Amino acid sequence: MNDTFSLSRFGLLLKKTILERAMQIIGAFAAVLAFTFLLYTLILYALDWGPAQNLAFIWGFIGGGVVLSSVVFSYFTTNAGGASYLTLPASALEKWLCGVLISGPLFCLVFLSFFRLMDYSFVTAYHNGLDRSSPLYRSLYDHVYLYVFEDNNVVVKATVLYTNFVGAMMVGSLYFNRVALVKVALVVCGMLAAIYFLNLGIVSLLFSNVDIAFPYFTVLIKVDSEVGNIELPHYAYDITNNFLQYVLPGVLWITAYVRLREKEI
Amino acid sequence: MIQFNNLSFGYSPKKLLYKNLTLEIQSGSIYGLLGKNGAGKSTLLKNMVGTLFPVEGSVIVNGMVPKTRKPSFLQTIYYIAEDVYVPALTIKQYKNLFAPFYPLFDSDNFYRYLTELEISVDGKLNKLSFGQQKKFVIAFALACNTRVLLMDEPTNGLDIPSKSQFRKLIASVMNEDRIIFISTHQIRDLENMIDNVIIVDDGKLLLHASVADIADKVCFKTVSEIPPGVKVLYSEKMLRGTAVVMENTDGDDSGLNLEQLFNGVTENPAMAKQIFSTN
Repeated sequence: MNDTFSLSRFGLLLKKTILERAMQIIGAFAAVLAFTFLLYTLILYALDWGPAQNLAFIWGFIGGGVVLSSVVFSYFTTNAGGASYLTLPASALEKWLCGVLISGPLFCLVFLSFFRLMDYSFVTAYHNGLDRSSPLYRSLYDHVYLYVFEDNNVVVKATVLYTNFVGAMMVGSLYFNRVALVKVALVVCGMLAAIYFLNLGIVSLLFSNVDIAFPYFTVLIKVDSEVGNIELPHYAYDITNNFLQYVLPGVLWITAYVRLREKEI
Repeated sequence: MIQFNNLSFGYSPKKLLYKNLTLEIQSGSIYGLLGKNGAGKSTLLKNMVGTLFPVEGSVIVNGMVPKTRKPSFLQTIYYIAEDVYVPALTIKQYKNLFAPFYPLFDSDNFYRYLTELEISVDGKLNKLSFGQQKKFVIAFALACNTRVLLMDEPTNGLDIPSKSQFRKLIASVMNEDRIIFISTHQIRDLENMIDNVIIVDDGKLLLHASVADIADKVCFKTVSEIPPGVKVLYSEKMLRGTAVVMENTDGDDSGLNLEQLFNGVTENPAMAKQIFSTN
């Protein structure tokens, strides 16, 4: 018997994982999609197309991924639930892959399909509603297009945040047995605040007029009434970028596997 | 066979619950693990199934290390926790999702056990009462036909007829290759069912003896006056005299009273050790 990975056993486990808590998983998906829809419409109503598309994507994608990843390993709220999960005859790799598959590819597929469909419906309705005989027709038509997933800096940054936060949530839900979502959110916020103030302190030693000093993305300084962005040197930017895009999420996702192997309850 | 080799375990590394525990559990026996609340019964079971890891020493279950939680090991052991976990599924759905992980699962026996335990529901398992859920999990665990079956307080929440049915079922599924390990503080529920007794208290192994050995070493009597010069492990004033557990020097054949034995061993561990270590 292969104790590390068996395709048939993995299939059984995936089926069991989804059907055992179908309402919880489907409910989480539904809540995320409903939230995204609501956010899109509210921001569209209050602001404009650009913010609506960007903010709905960012919050739906990152928030949804985090919510779902908090569900996939949430067996440890009771001793019996945790014991039942840990003693089910499947390997730690299979159990981890199951969680990764649901909060990774499956979530991305569902979310991106939904977002595209929703965006398409709104944009098409808008385009069809325009008066073709109006002299402003062309400019109004060009005001909005379908949200672009490729070569879009917002999507790239959101993906980086998604992989990191989902990784952190998976690790956190294996450390904290109860209300993991809240506890992980507190830890992440605490760490971000600590990093922010550390960075602010370091930047303040170098510049006297620092406006915002969030590491990596945003270090702004005020020059008279203008605000300028301090960018990292190219090589340092590449290192930081690679670290945030690949190394940190990789470490977090693998830590979740190691933690699952060593989980005690 | 289950072997504990110098097992040390503690929830904090500085404060060990078990220290250098060495114990051997043979196949073909039903073990009763007795202890007060917080004595470390559940901890011992969790070390056997691999949901807790020894700090030092090792546990070996049928030649396998529980800590690794390999599927080939987990297929051979079933652990029923004290509180019950059942998802929002029907019996049939539960069986279809969980049974394929256990290659020796017997579907016919599963439904027979459910009938014997009087569980018949069309609705979701999570809507059942605690006792019903517990009986369902017991029926499923027995049907899995694993070589080792660990039960933590299985009779908690069971009504009187169910307890009796539980005892009959356990006796009916026992065979030479199997180990059934039942942890409880409801001692009377195990009487006439177990053939080995393990008593732990505060992380210490106070007694590990077969029922035959216990009957050989101590006798349970009600006397008007405690006989002089006899080692009395436990005494308790009753309406019709004094119930005593004393050293069996005359080869008396008295019925086993687990509750009195437990009280005697936990209150007087030094004497118990003395009595049970003599040949």
